[in-house]
Amino acid sequence: MAFLLRRLAFYLVAIFVAISFNFLLPRLMPGDPVDAIFANAGGRMPLETLEAYKAMLGFTDGPLWEQYLQYLKSVVTLDLGPTIMLFPVPVADVLGNTLPWTVFLAGTASIVSIGVGCFIGLYASYHRGGFVDRFVPFFWQFVASMPQAVTALFMFFVFALTLKWFPLGFGVNPDIEPDGSLTYYKSVAHHAVLPMVTLILSMLATWIFTMRNAMVNVLGEDYITMAKAKGLSDRRIMTHYAARNAILPVVTAVSMALGFAVAGQVFIETVYNYPGVGQLIIKSVSTRDYPLMQACFLLIVVCVLLANFVADLLYVVLDPRLRT
Amino acid sequence: MTFAKRFFGGLVKFYRGNPAGIIGTMIVALILCACLAAPVLTDNDPNKRVARGHQPPSAELPFGSTRAGKDVYTQVLYGGRVSLLVAFSAATITTVIALSIGVTSGYFGGRIDEVMMAITNVMLVFPQLPLLIILAAFLGQVGPFVIALILGLTSWPWGARVMRSQTLAIRNKQFITAAEVMGEAKWRIIVVEIIPNLVSLVAGMFVGTALYAIGAQAGLEFLGLGDPTVVSWGTMLYWAQSSAAFFVGAWWDFVVPGTVIALMGGGLALINISIDQISNPKLRTGRYLRIWRQLKAQVDAKRSQS
Repeated sequence: MAFLLRRLAFYLVAIFVAISFNFLLPRLMPGDPVDAIFANAGGRMPLETLEAYKAMLGFTDGPLWEQYLQYLKSVVTLDLGPTIMLFPVPVADVLGNTLPWTVFLAGTASIVSIGVGCFIGLYASYHRGGFVDRFVPFFWQFVASMPQAVTALFMFFVFALTLKWFPLGFGVNPDIEPDGSLTYYKSVAHHAVLPMVTLILSMLATWIFTMRNAMVNVLGEDYITMAKAKGLSDRRIMTHYAARNAILPVVTAVSMALGFAVAGQVFIETVYNYPGVGQLIIKSVSTRDYPLMQACFLLIVVCVLLANFVADLLYVVLDPRLRT
Repeated sequence: MTFAKRFFGGLVKFYRGNPAGIIGTMIVALILCACLAAPVLTDNDPNKRVARGHQPPSAELPFGSTRAGKDVYTQVLYGGRVSLLVAFSAATITTVIALSIGVTSGYFGGRIDEVMMAITNVMLVFPQLPLLIILAAFLGQVGPFVIALILGLTSWPWGARVMRSQTLAIRNKQFITAAEVMGEAKWRIIVVEIIPNLVSLVAGMFVGTALYAIGAQAGLEFLGLGDPTVVSWGTMLYWAQSSAAFFVGAWWDFVVPGTVIALMGGGLALINISIDQISNPKLRTGRYLRIWRQLKAQVDAKRSQS
């Protein structure tokens, strides 16, 4: 319990840092985003809106700490104001529409690549020096070392544009009513294949290597020798003795890998024109929609922290030493 | 003389029985040399219009031309100089920061360690790319120099953790205690006693960060956050994307820079893996394990008989 509380406190600090970063960054830069917003709208913006932006971004006249409190309040109450890109739709609504797509894509891809990657890693360490151990991790590492943008472009070119196996973009065929029918979900699945495969390709190697290296380290421990001496079967030693302990560093690696998954998400959604948060943040950057951009950033940070917390919970389940 | 001997001896030892390292080094060296020798390998100017737009590869233009009629071959060579310079400077900055933070907090411990690791851990949970995007967006379209700086200043936390744990592992070894008892200065212990033991980690980190920086720079520029007037691998992708090269069938516009980036990344990754195996020999794999496997099979066969 103490462990979880400590982690929770840590995440709260991290969120606080993210909010403060969001608050300070525009103030450290020359100019003021509200002016940029105003200029961008061609001066067609009603004065009240401008005032609302100033209040929302905390650019009210007043000392810095007052502006800071104002900003904190608007973040906590999710009162993030309207977007500029899709005026007057509120920022919170736009984010709400894109979040499920991203969580679906990143979540499924992460779970699949962790599962498959750990399995391959386990297999490679079991057959140490065998074919899989010697070539498969290297092959996947080579694949994964391509920047996700490049992988996505190649896949898009080959499978969507040339072979026409998959659609050219979007999360779902816009002609189909989102009524929850089977055709709708089939369309969603069809559109998700390429982005998901690309994401999995870029993540798989991490898990193969993490699992394999963790296994190799664990297999050198004395209790493995002891288990062998007791005459336990290889399979039992692998699953119940080695893998059980090798999985811990894998769970720790989740926090590293998540950042990577998010990065992949941004490129992949941009290339495949997928309606998720990653694409939204790029769109908001290119339209200089500062409120939306900052909200996207905050949302991504919160999601990553949440996933980290889930990994911590998992850690407690897997490691009895933390259950005090 | 002895230094050169040790250096080359080390190199030979590193590459012997290490095909991944050899292939990786060859790829990286080939691309690096081609980029450095750009003025010899091509007569064109990367910024000059030499042909009509989107000409397919031919004898004159081995990789075709871009939408603006520039020579893709020349652009890849000159662009590589920028991309590789960014990657290696970012890697240098990151390695220096990670090494100093990791070793300081590992060696001194106590309050310094707590504060430094708290900062490192907070930095570590932040997803890096969105952070880079926000920074780049507020700075406006950033040049290669700024990209190198941002990448270098944001990618050190993981390395710092690795360096710290390795420092912790050696700081209680006897040779450190001996140095302390003899009254060596703290900076001397760090520089002369500890850092030489971290060399393989430092090398691994440098290569790993360069690999990351190549991808991150290409990505940021591809997304339009870089300065599009500078020719680099990332901006080539950006121009290909914004001129809809795929949809008009000008695949070479994408495929050439994409392949070069992928090869460079792959080469660096192979080097990185082999360095990992040097710093932790347990992780090794290879032909010599066959003997071990044969022995194990014999033992297993015996066991199942009895």
